Amino acid sequence: MSNVTEHATQKRERSIKRWINARFPLQEFWTKHLTHYFAPRNFNFWYYFGSFSLLVLVNQIITGIWLAMDYTPTATEAFASVQHIMRDVRFGWLLRLMHSTGASAFFVVVYLHMYRGLIYGSYRKPRELLWLIGMLIYITLLLEAFTGYVLPWGQMSYWGAEVITSFASAIPYVGKFLVVWLRGDYSVSGVTLHRFFSLHVIAVPLVLLGLVFLHLVALHYVGSNNPDGIDIKTKKDAQGVPLDGIAFHPYYTLKDLVGVVVFLMIFFWVIFYAPTMGGLFLEAENFTPANSMMTPAHIAPVWYMTPFYAILRAIPNKFFGLSAMAAAIALMFVLPWLDRSPVRSIRYKGTCSKVAIVVFVICFIGLGYVGIMPVSPVLSIMAQIFAVGYFAFFLLMPFYTSLETTKPLPERLTS
Amino acid sequence: MKKCLLMLCLLFFSLSVFADDAVLELEKAPIHRNDMGSVERGAGLFSSICMSCHTLIYLRYDAFAQKHGVRYDRMPVNVKWPTGAVPPDLSLEASVRGVDWIYTYLHSFYMDSARSTGFNNLLVPNTMMPDILVTYRGMQVLSQDADLSESYEHTLEWYDELTLKSPGSVSEQQFDAMITDIVNFLAYAAEPYHEQQVHLGVWVLGFLLILFVLVYLLKSEYWKDLK
Repeated sequence: MSNVTEHATQKRERSIKRWINARFPLQEFWTKHLTHYFAPRNFNFWYYFGSFSLLVLVNQIITGIWLAMDYTPTATEAFASVQHIMRDVRFGWLLRLMHSTGASAFFVVVYLHMYRGLIYGSYRKPRELLWLIGMLIYITLLLEAFTGYVLPWGQMSYWGAEVITSFASAIPYVGKFLVVWLRGDYSVSGVTLHRFFSLHVIAVPLVLLGLVFLHLVALHYVGSNNPDGIDIKTKKDAQGVPLDGIAFHPYYTLKDLVGVVVFLMIFFWVIFYAPTMGGLFLEAENFTPANSMMTPAHIAPVWYMTPFYAILRAIPNKFFGLSAMAAAIALMFVLPWLDRSPVRSIRYKGTCSKVAIVVFVICFIGLGYVGIMPVSPVLSIMAQIFAVGYFAFFLLMPFYTSLETTKPLPERLTS
Repeated sequence: MKKCLLMLCLLFFSLSVFADDAVLELEKAPIHRNDMGSVERGAGLFSSICMSCHTLIYLRYDAFAQKHGVRYDRMPVNVKWPTGAVPPDLSLEASVRGVDWIYTYLHSFYMDSARSTGFNNLLVPNTMMPDILVTYRGMQVLSQDADLSESYEHTLEWYDELTLKSPGSVSEQQFDAMITDIVNFLAYAAEPYHEQQVHLGVWVLGFLLILFVLVYLLKSEYWKDLK
């Protein structure tokens, strides 16, 4: 009896699949991008962060939709509406903390994802465009974070927006006009808040989703790099499957799932037990409503922007400081053409490259730290030293990567 | 190099105590946030003492606060003060300043005839707030050997600088307990969801732990075939 019904169900399922596949390439997509998409078998710890960023993106969109249902983007109501969400909306506090923690988590995983690309040379040919799209995602993400940070309309929201929009005034000739155009007012006001809300919930996310789609298209076209930085497509078996490749599904979907659960444990631990992260994720000053008549003693952007903020402050001249900050980001874009090493991965690069990476990490974290702290003479000098280190890493790269001796590459993946 | 890194780490972890121009060392508020009895007593004290000037507007629909006397219709909303200073709303005071700050602030009032209120405060010099708790605590004056000018070189404790001149209606221990309750209530006021947050956390993390074991076993089962 049950056998008969089971058989009938299977038959119905097959016919539904047939119906869909005749009209939409569902089966083809599944095969091409999951069960017959072959990824290198030696992905390590660093390869989790791509899927984590997708997960956080989904988290931000879903929690964002529900937050927008109760949030009011006006100067008089915004702050109170966030408190309304935190207190009166059922589980509103959870949605809001998932969103605020998600913002910081996004940058944590994206920075680690970028670092992975950096150490294993994932930006090298033929993945230059993949890297460029990724960089565009990063810039878009910074915009998304900045517009979102203004919405709670606390003191840091307001003054952060005031400081960051004022950067545009350093641009010669059009600067002053540009600042007013950005703010929609002579200083940051309810008008600015309302347009930032629009940008944050629709304009920037649309761009972000489009870029993420392109990032994945490019990734699946060229295939993943790996910790050895060698091409797995050169050695294939009789069926054309790379000898060192394994099917993305089920192997990496399951491996990523394990990673996702671990990530969620950390993520939710923060949400439930340390949502402010000692002032890093939610600043104490931002629990005070925006007040245009009272400047806080110390204004700093959120931690993920501080490395670039520190570069800006390291140079006493506003225009040159801003140019340096723009250059610091621009250099990341041209990374694929700065690296002249015959090998991709740090595993086979010479000592110079290894030292350079260590210096870069110290400088980047150092800049991030200096950017959070109030200005002091000692920290200004430190910022300048770190900034020099940051730029040296990129500008000297063509020399140290081409002059150093590299280790011989293995024929097949090593681990 | 290592020393430099260590210093960086240390500086980094001291971030949470952002400089607040405070020359005074904050005394740790001995609150237990799950002690609801204390929060309840704090609500009572708040409604009878603090609420003569301060509001908690975001607790307007908070059932717990209403039940214990902190009702919106009794709050001094839109009250104009002759001095010009408007007492701030305290809904988020515990998030903005921290519980230790409030605890220390309420302890460090002293007599100062130079001030129009008759009082001054060690933590917030020239504060506009009068010492509303003076009848409970008693009058404090600056100690004979108090030297606030040196305060930038070494941190001060409020109790080293102030002396009780005349006792109030409650003992020192009772007064500390009273302030603790008020601070505990303000901690509740800033995050009324805190209790739910902490409880839900256990369930969510517990679920994820079990899920981890399951997905790990599932993954191992599949990956076995690759060896």
